[in-house]
Amino acid sequence: MLEFKNVTKKFGNITALDNVNFNIKDGGFVFITGPSGSGKTTLLRLILGEIKSDKGEIILDGQNISKLPNNKIPKLRQHIGVIFQDFKVLLERTVRENVEVALAVIGLSRDEWKARVDHVLDLVNLKERSEFFPSQLAGGELQRLSMARALVINPNIILADEPTGNLDWETADKIMDLFGKINKEGKTVVMATHNKLIIDHMKKRTIELREGSLVLDSGVKPDDNSSKAETIIIGSKKEQKEKVESKVK
Amino acid sequence: MVNIHLKTAGDHIRRSPFQAAAAVFVLAVTFFVVTFLAVLTHSSDQVIKYFETRPQVIAFLKDDAKSEDISALKAKLEADTRVDSVSYVSKEQALEIYKKATSDNPLLSELVSPSIFPASLEFSLVNLYHAQAVIDEVKGDAIVDQVGYTASLGDDESLNDVVTRLRNLTWYLRLGGGAFAFFLVGTSFLVLMVIIGMRMTTRRGEIEILDLIGATPGFIRSPIILEAVIYAVTGVFLGWLLAFLLVLYSTPSLIGYFGDVPVLPRNTMQLFWLFGSILAIELIAGLILAVSGSILAVSRVKRKK
Repeated sequence: MLEFKNVTKKFGNITALDNVNFNIKDGGFVFITGPSGSGKTTLLRLILGEIKSDKGEIILDGQNISKLPNNKIPKLRQHIGVIFQDFKVLLERTVRENVEVALAVIGLSRDEWKARVDHVLDLVNLKERSEFFPSQLAGGELQRLSMARALVINPNIILADEPTGNLDWETADKIMDLFGKINKEGKTVVMATHNKLIIDHMKKRTIELREGSLVLDSGVKPDDNSSKAETIIIGSKKEQKEKVESKVK
Repeated sequence: MVNIHLKTAGDHIRRSPFQAAAAVFVLAVTFFVVTFLAVLTHSSDQVIKYFETRPQVIAFLKDDAKSEDISALKAKLEADTRVDSVSYVSKEQALEIYKKATSDNPLLSELVSPSIFPASLEFSLVNLYHAQAVIDEVKGDAIVDQVGYTASLGDDESLNDVVTRLRNLTWYLRLGGGAFAFFLVGTSFLVLMVIIGMRMTTRRGEIEILDLIGATPGFIRSPIILEAVIYAVTGVFLGWLLAFLLVLYSTPSLIGYFGDVPVLPRNTMQLFWLFGSILAIELIAGLILAVSGSILAVSRVKRKK
């Protein structure tokens, strides 16, 4: 389970996240949405241990990761699958090697690599392109490679930062189907996006941030039995903000 | 695991062959000079040792010296810790030595009889610095007529002078050579650091990705350190090999020129042992250089980040 308790993060005078509270049960699928600069990426970076919160606690699988010492961060990340808008694949490595790197990082025995890599490449439909280099792949394929690398370590939680941001609608749709498939396998998915079409299409729990404050947590939808919301705030943006402020007070 | 790091290091070298060549070249030049200096140091030590262990002092005995007195003096010298070895040369042996020395002119040897050559005690010293004190003591013995340095080396002071000059030369060689080697090693260290730093900069994107997917600092550093180690091992080996081949090529001339003075081992196995030892020490030094240089470069680039 992932839980944010009164998390605040400031960069100088700018408050990137302001007293954010929510929790995501195992196997949940949650969109983090909001306009640019609302704190979506900051939230993901906090989970990934890239930055530390100024206040509050972030609990991941029972462990307070906001207080994790730097030398424990790599171990934390080895249990998180991470997918980026710009794919972040190793350009000099083949598709297979890109996925294998993640296994090398977690220190898995080489004997187990082939079976695992074949499985995830099959899942993301890249098996036939396993010896291709990233420069030979299309945008959607690169994102699928990024997903394969995230999945191969068998993480409990997958963080995706605007994974469809660089893709056309058709490709983005396919990628989202893949995310749905992964979620059905029991993986928790936390996806930052401002793509309303995708959010509406997927009908999953949505946490909306504005200027660092949580203004909406759409909570449980009829078709999302894995997400449990604590806060459901609806109404105009102004009303949402006021409600959040009064709740914080 | 090592395979993936080796592959990464190999890829980096292949991608920037000129940087790799520059690193290897600088290290090869450094270790070529270091190998030569090591051989020179060894040779100068051997030369000093050679001269120091030659019979250096001759105590000419009086004609009426009794054999028991001679034996007593010999035993006294043998017991002296400053004296390395003592030998007795009788009048007859002295004549034989003279005959050998004048073999190209038989007339000279026919004109002399053993009686004109004094018997003597020849001895070498552990360290020539003790020479004067030992000579003064031996001079005081009743059966000793005269004491001098080995005649073949010239007058009384010559051997002492030769060894002192050799010692000074060796000292300057070590000091100057050491300073030069230090300068070259420092240059190699800087070149390695610069090249590794450039690698780190060009690999920043890759390092960021590895960092985000949970790679430990050790995992990220490994291919960089391995790359530096490859440079160091190749550079050390090339520098050493070049010096070794040159020494092998010139060994017959050197041995011919220096004669009995063992500037280089005459035995092939000993020569290989000497160069093997130099290579082993240089490899260790190269590895220390590579690992410390790359770790320093990595930490500097990380600090800048």
